[in-house]
Amino acid sequence: MTDTSVKEAGSRPAGMAAPGSRALGSALPRILMNSGLAQILIALVLPVAIVTIWQLAGTNGSLFGGVLPTPDRVVSAWWTWAFGAKGMGLNPYSGTWLANVIFSTERVAEGFLVAILVGVPAGIWIGWSRLGAQILDPTVQMLRPIPITAWLPFSLAVFGISGFSAIFLIALGAFYPIVINTTQGARHVERNLVRAALMMGAGRLDILRRVVLPAALPAIFTGLRIGLGIGWTAVIVSEMIAVKSGLGYVLWDAYYVGRMDVVIADMVSIGVMGLLSDQLILLAERWALSWRLAGAR
Amino acid sequence: MAEIALRKVAKTYFSATPVRALESVDLDIAEGEFVALLGPSGCGKSTLLNILAGFEGSSEGSALIDGGAIGRPGPDRGVVFQEAALFPWLTVWENVVFGPKMQGLPKSEYEGRARELLATVGLKDFAQSYPAQLSGGMRQRVGIARVLVMQPRALLMDEPFGALDAQTRMAMQELLLTVWEKLNTTVVFVTHDIDEAILLADRVFVMTARPARIGREIAITLPRPRSIDDLTSPEFTRYKAEIMAEMRSAHHQAETA
Ligand SMILES: Nc1ncnc2c1ncn2[C@@H]1O[C@H](COP(=O)(O)OP(=O)(O)OP(=O)(O)O)[C@@H](O)[C@H]1O
Ligand SMILES: [Mg+2]
Repeated sequence: MTDTSVKEAGSRPAGMAAPGSRALGSALPRILMNSGLAQILIALVLPVAIVTIWQLAGTNGSLFGGVLPTPDRVVSAWWTWAFGAKGMGLNPYSGTWLANVIFSTERVAEGFLVAILVGVPAGIWIGWSRLGAQILDPTVQMLRPIPITAWLPFSLAVFGISGFSAIFLIALGAFYPIVINTTQGARHVERNLVRAALMMGAGRLDILRRVVLPAALPAIFTGLRIGLGIGWTAVIVSEMIAVKSGLGYVLWDAYYVGRMDVVIADMVSIGVMGLLSDQLILLAERWALSWRLAGAR
Repeated sequence: MAEIALRKVAKTYFSATPVRALESVDLDIAEGEFVALLGPSGCGKSTLLNILAGFEGSSEGSALIDGGAIGRPGPDRGVVFQEAALFPWLTVWENVVFGPKMQGLPKSEYEGRARELLATVGLKDFAQSYPAQLSGGMRQRVGIARVLVMQPRALLMDEPFGALDAQTRMAMQELLLTVWEKLNTTVVFVTHDIDEAILLADRVFVMTARPARIGREIAITLPRPRSIDDLTSPEFTRYKAEIMAEMRSAHHQAETA
């Protein structure tokens, strides 16, 4: 913090060094507030406070009569889970963290990919063509109120205890927001853009690919972000019941044997992975929609 | 260069309350002619242009181009929209070559022409910019360049300079005259600016309030090439007075009808 303020002051041209002490007094805090480092620090205040209180409230490494472990226990549980030697009979989780993270992430990625490959074309078709809307939309709207959790037994019966079961639920859960947002985007393409393309000799497929799709892209990305969140929910739920690996499986298993420290470490891991994957989409969005930001630059 | 003919064209929009936008419009436009449509807001000028472009069908009558019924929209009739209607996700260059690309022309055939046109409209240095980075006038010029690059037989322009400031507007008008004198395409130019209509057109059609008919046609015989300086000549003022009188009486008729 001090570092930034020194730099800011140092980079000021000599003539502007003292624009009146009052002005400087109000400008300095603002500069501090706006620097990237300061924002990160401000964002950390609340989590650090919560963790500290949580830690201090515990006695002998736990709260509420042993139900909830303190943060230091959680960290040490995570350490063993991540870096411990594998195959130690007493702790089945030891050294399996990365493998489980990869299991879950892979499932989310696969299910999400299926959801995009089906959801985006379906949404474009529903939003763009009246026939598409008449054929697909009623079915989508009828299936949508069935929560993905309600599909679990169905998925188990069809795919058995396997990764496919999870991938199916992820794909289904992510499909709805993707298809609905894509539909919205494709429905509201500016009429004159389509006319302009027609006037310039574009065919039906060109219109879909070069006008409707890019025009719907901002809405599609909204759908992708919501869909990915549901994808993570779906992977955890299905791994708790229908698969014998992944963060969801460990979560439930650890709860069953009373390892709340592992449960919490697992929850944090899920949160971090969800955050990272969302950032990935944001990055892709910024790249794909750079034409939108161009004006603001 | 195209010959355009409208025979008793009428158009009704069947929205919540049906709107009769055009009523028995007869119009003959010769090859290479520059025609201006002048009329009050909401009278049906865009509707007429949309019919010529093939965006909309007419409810009655027939619309012909070179003797045949006007079909689907296509590169033979270049349309310049009121709000440019550029693709915001494409760069200026990509917008300009969109038409030739869609028609599957080889690059060698259009890239030179596209570059030349960009220079003509003064946007050579903005080829890689996105529309969001341009001013309204610059966007409008891209909209004109992307149509001219297709070398259309007819140019349909819907108040293309309506949103521009006076200065840019005059520059664009002169540009259009230069380009048109070189290419000699048929131009149908919609405007509600009387000066603009007189300056640009061979003939000005004054349309009545909705449902629009062609109220009167006024041939502008000012010598070409014309320039902004003509705006202050006595003949110009005479045409203006004539058209204003015509518009006033058209308005009056609409009020009393
Ligand atoms: N798609 C549509 N559906 C229903 N009514 C329409 C439609 N398009 C135009 N109209 C109506 O037709 C009439 C003529 O509209 P048009 O856009 O042709 O006017 P205009 O002469 O171009 O006006 P302006 O100078 O303001 O652009 C208006 O009353 C409008 O409300
Ligand atoms: Mg109009």
